[in-house]
Amino acid sequence: MPPKRSNKAQELIQRLPIKINRQAMLSLEACVHCGLCTDQCHYVLANPGDPTYAPAYKADKLRKLFKAHLDWTGRVFPSWVGAKSVYTDEELEEIKDVVFGKCTNCRRCSLNCPMGVDMASFNRIARGLLVHVGVMPEGVAVVAKDQWEIGNQMGVLPEDYRDTLEWMEGELREEYNDPSIRIPVDKMDTDVVYTINPREVKYDPRTIAEAAAIFHFAGENWTMASKGWDMTNFGLFNGDDELGAAVAERVYDSALCLRGKKLVISECGHGFRSTRCEGPNWAKRDVPFEMESSVVTMLRYIKEGRIKVDKNKNSEPVTYHDSCNNARSCGMTEEPRELLNLVCSDFREMYPNRAENFCCTGGGGAMSMSEYAPRRLKSGKIKADQLRATGAKIVVTSCHNCVDGLFDLIRFYKLDMQVKLLVNLVSSALVVPVRPLRRRLLEGFRILVLDDEPDVRVYLGKIFQEQGAEVMEAPDTSQALRIIRAQKPDLLTLDLVLPKRTGEKLYWDLKKEERFASIPIIVVSGYAHIDSPKIDFHGFIAEKNLPEPEGFIEKPVDVEKLIQTVYSVLAVAKVKD
Amino acid sequence: MGGDGVLRFAENELQIGALIFMVVVYALKIRWILNFPAGRDRQAPASDPGRSGPRGARRSLLQIAMPWAMGSTRQHPLLYAQFALFHIAVAASIAMSFLIPYAPGTIASRPAVIALRVTFAAAVFIGIARLFRRVRDPYMRAISTPDDYFSLALLIVWLALSFLAAPNQPHPRAWPLLAYFFLTAFFLAYVPFSKISHYLYYPFARWYLGRTLGYRGVYPLRGGVEIHP
Repeated sequence: MPPKRSNKAQELIQRLPIKINRQAMLSLEACVHCGLCTDQCHYVLANPGDPTYAPAYKADKLRKLFKAHLDWTGRVFPSWVGAKSVYTDEELEEIKDVVFGKCTNCRRCSLNCPMGVDMASFNRIARGLLVHVGVMPEGVAVVAKDQWEIGNQMGVLPEDYRDTLEWMEGELREEYNDPSIRIPVDKMDTDVVYTINPREVKYDPRTIAEAAAIFHFAGENWTMASKGWDMTNFGLFNGDDELGAAVAERVYDSALCLRGKKLVISECGHGFRSTRCEGPNWAKRDVPFEMESSVVTMLRYIKEGRIKVDKNKNSEPVTYHDSCNNARSCGMTEEPRELLNLVCSDFREMYPNRAENFCCTGGGGAMSMSEYAPRRLKSGKIKADQLRATGAKIVVTSCHNCVDGLFDLIRFYKLDMQVKLLVNLVSSALVVPVRPLRRRLLEGFRILVLDDEPDVRVYLGKIFQEQGAEVMEAPDTSQALRIIRAQKPDLLTLDLVLPKRTGEKLYWDLKKEERFASIPIIVVSGYAHIDSPKIDFHGFIAEKNLPEPEGFIEKPVDVEKLIQTVYSVLAVAKVKD
Repeated sequence: MGGDGVLRFAENELQIGALIFMVVVYALKIRWILNFPAGRDRQAPASDPGRSGPRGARRSLLQIAMPWAMGSTRQHPLLYAQFALFHIAVAASIAMSFLIPYAPGTIASRPAVIALRVTFAAAVFIGIARLFRRVRDPYMRAISTPDDYFSLALLIVWLALSFLAAPNQPHPRAWPLLAYFFLTAFFLAYVPFSKISHYLYYPFARWYLGRTLGYRGVYPLRGGVEIHP
């Protein structure tokens, strides 16, 4: 007598036939459990001896259900063919742990299966079934909710979006001393409607400005939309086709409303795949305009002579990380390389690459599932080894998720590298007709540098002053508190190892006091990233339930990274104000 | 029915009956498969002239014969060679089950018998090695069902019987041929319910995957394969 089935389990089983189409069922039946997919998965390689990471094992979570409910051999001889139904909420949680926490849907196993079994699709289907009954990591629920309700996955409000575009437009005009530069919004009948990732608005607005500069100098007739501008789609990650359809339709409808001729999709692997490839299928509608990745657009501009670039402006060794969605699901492997060879002078391949590349471990919505972060970082060792072997100083990718995933790995595995998008490199290689002096990035901002070492204070202070900031210095926390109370700086750089009172305590004092809680803090320390016997900063903020600081910079300081981090943090804070 | 009569029955009526049973089950299976709606590619095709749905599908189907095309087969050449030889032996044994009763002369020569027996013997050893791998390797154990073990064990026995039956000499001992044909009939009836029916599904699975990836410009893989500097 089988146990009584929970409501969620019952609902999930009822949903199962709706989610399985002919491709999926043939794929489910075709697997022979040959095990050749096993060592194609970065999770397996980084967790030797644990078979629960094996792609076929993960795929079996869905196959067992399929066999139990949709294949009569499983109904007649369940244990013989490995059929197994679900009865309890605990069993659903176990499936959740596997399909959300042990797979990034990178599709490397699918492309390496001799039978052509698309295991990544199974994982997505299993996620969709769980999401349908409300079983998912909390972060996934939050992001999906934002995308349903606010219209973008980071909950960016319309006014913040507008403000950011206006601010970037102002920056560009100043930077290039060119008042004709615009970031048009809702302009009708343009050749290009440009869609972006909300991460760009929230954390990396410079990429919007850089793309805008490229459009401007290419003489493009372009616009951005005030609605339906988010081309990311959490439906791809959580397996919810309804969400996928709704989000894609917003983008299509917006472009149609503006009568745009082409939709250009900024650098985002899953966004490109969702909007260009999956969206029309989810929405069950044909899309009458062309869609193109901004990588292809930038390459085209250079080839057509619409923009000029100087590859010597990017002379540091660069490698390229293929986003899984771009490479394995959309075939975009050559355009980024062609572009890189045009805009940087020392491009080095990473091996293996293209469709055989390993996942950054940030895909499949993994960045929103903080409970699986330790697993993700451990499994990122394969990627970290790949990165290290290139000897490059910059890893370029064309995906915002990969940027975050790689950034975490670089920090965790202490790699001496920066992550950039292609738009960053194209922008910095731009040869513009008249290139005026760059405006100093930190002009108008007041920064407090707290460090017990006088040399470091002077050094950091000089860097900020050269960028136009007003700098205050404090050798210890009590002086820092005095300055903060008297002058309330725009940003604090915080050393964690200080005499008398550690940086942790100051952090706690500031975050608990409402007046000062909003002051952005960047930790600049030799112990910034990795918890050490001396300082367990991450443990401290987790224990006290404090927000993460706005940035971390490891000593010795990389000047460019420091300036960019401080600038980005201040820019975001300005928008919030 | 004498010994020869039983053998004749096993070679003919029994096989035909089992084949009819298999065809009926497969017909029902096809009906079942068609109940699942087929997905459709609504998005615009990739603009790459070298890639399309049909090209992708063709490439995907051929992938099985291109061990260099996938990391999984490239990194495990021994497993791939085992796979190839094992399946060649299975195909040979299936062919032999038709040739012995209907065209025995085609495999009667000494070289043909030797070739068949070498193939079957190699396949038996491969099958045993694979069974050993499935039992010993924790990754394989974690994904294996009783059907996986049973199907493989059954194939090993069948290939061993194929080795014994290949000379096609019912006298003085008919039991190898009898056992071979009875087991062949059992296979025909069992296969549609077991993992061995993957041969029916996998071409379609590969075709669908290849068609979609070709349509999107992924297949054939662009830029080739670069594993090492």
